[in-house]
Amino acid sequence: MKRGYRPHGTILGKFLSAVCIGILLGLFVTIVVVERGKGFGAIAAGPWTGWPRNGTSDTDPYTRAILAYSGEMSLSESEGMSFVAHGDSNGAEFDPACDYALMGEIPSSRYWTVTLLSPAGAPIANAAGRPGFTSSEVLRASDGQFEITLSRHARPGNWLPMGAAAKFILVLRFYDSELDAPGAALDAASMPGLIKSRCE
Amino acid sequence: MNQIDRLLAALLWLLGVLAIAGITHIVAIFALPEIAAKDTYARISELAKPGQLTILPPSRPDKQVMPFADPAMVQSVCPFDLSQGGLRLHADVEGGRLLTFSFRTSAGQVFYSMTDLAAQQGKIDVVVLTAAQLEIVEAEDDEDDPSQDLRLIAPEPQGFVIVSALAVYQSDKADAEERVKSTACAVEQVVQD
Repeated sequence: MKRGYRPHGTILGKFLSAVCIGILLGLFVTIVVVERGKGFGAIAAGPWTGWPRNGTSDTDPYTRAILAYSGEMSLSESEGMSFVAHGDSNGAEFDPACDYALMGEIPSSRYWTVTLLSPAGAPIANAAGRPGFTSSEVLRASDGQFEITLSRHARPGNWLPMGAAAKFILVLRFYDSELDAPGAALDAASMPGLIKSRCE
Repeated sequence: MNQIDRLLAALLWLLGVLAIAGITHIVAIFALPEIAAKDTYARISELAKPGQLTILPPSRPDKQVMPFADPAMVQSVCPFDLSQGGLRLHADVEGGRLLTFSFRTSAGQVFYSMTDLAAQQGKIDVVVLTAAQLEIVEAEDDEDDPSQDLRLIAPEPQGFVIVSALAVYQSDKADAEERVKSTACAVEQVVQD
């Protein structure tokens, strides 16, 4: 056998295997990226993450693919802005065995709503029939401050029931807000905190 | 074939795999919204006909028309197909209560949006047109009595409008539904003389 000689079959085999493995790898990476659900241009403020330019025509291709994959009709710029929390202010993921308190500053807007959803975006059934709170529904102290308690069990005050969900997320929406205006500074201090209290 | 040759061949093969993976990834990311667009528009067309405003059923744990929808919002959808004519949207806005409109392509991407705050004298009048239809409409304009309509050019002939009203209290659902229903959405013929 001459040095360097390779039968055509091997070259073709190598080529085909590279194409197949390459395509599989590319699709796998795409699924991982889209499932993770994080595009560019996200704003993080404490436990909350928001995408200011979602839904508009100048979003990046990743955000567009992620939105298309999830089926979400994200709020447009002039409607408002939404934020998602997957865990508490300390960065720990939500544990349905624990109670959480949503409290602190809230940016000004015409209305806001806070909603408990499954990670796939479905409402979670609960005996109280309460999917969330709107800014008008929430009970406030005389100084305007409020606290919403997330718990599996009935709690006094603003109780947001978790139902029997094993995993959940919180969505905070601001309608008619100036949050996506250029220069609108947003940090952990200007958004409500999520404090873990007692656990079962 | 000595060892260096073999190593180079393996390296070349690996580079080939990575290049193909990269191309596949980019193509998939760009193709996903296109594939999903057909799905979204098909789902919406099942619920509503073009030029017809239909209230979306509220999301339930086992069935949701639109994932991540705000349960405090009453949402309705009005699909449009501009090959059949323009789409006219009219709403009378009553003070202070949130009503939002988002004009979307078939993939759900927003090309225009507004809230009740954009109303002029308590009215919102929007006409969605193709570029060719806009030319026809503009040619027919009366210079002394300009139209008060807001004219939008849709980037593609098919799409939909989402009209939503906020029920600030759970007991306000019926009222919010009324506000959404009072929005008129109809096909408007655009004919050249």
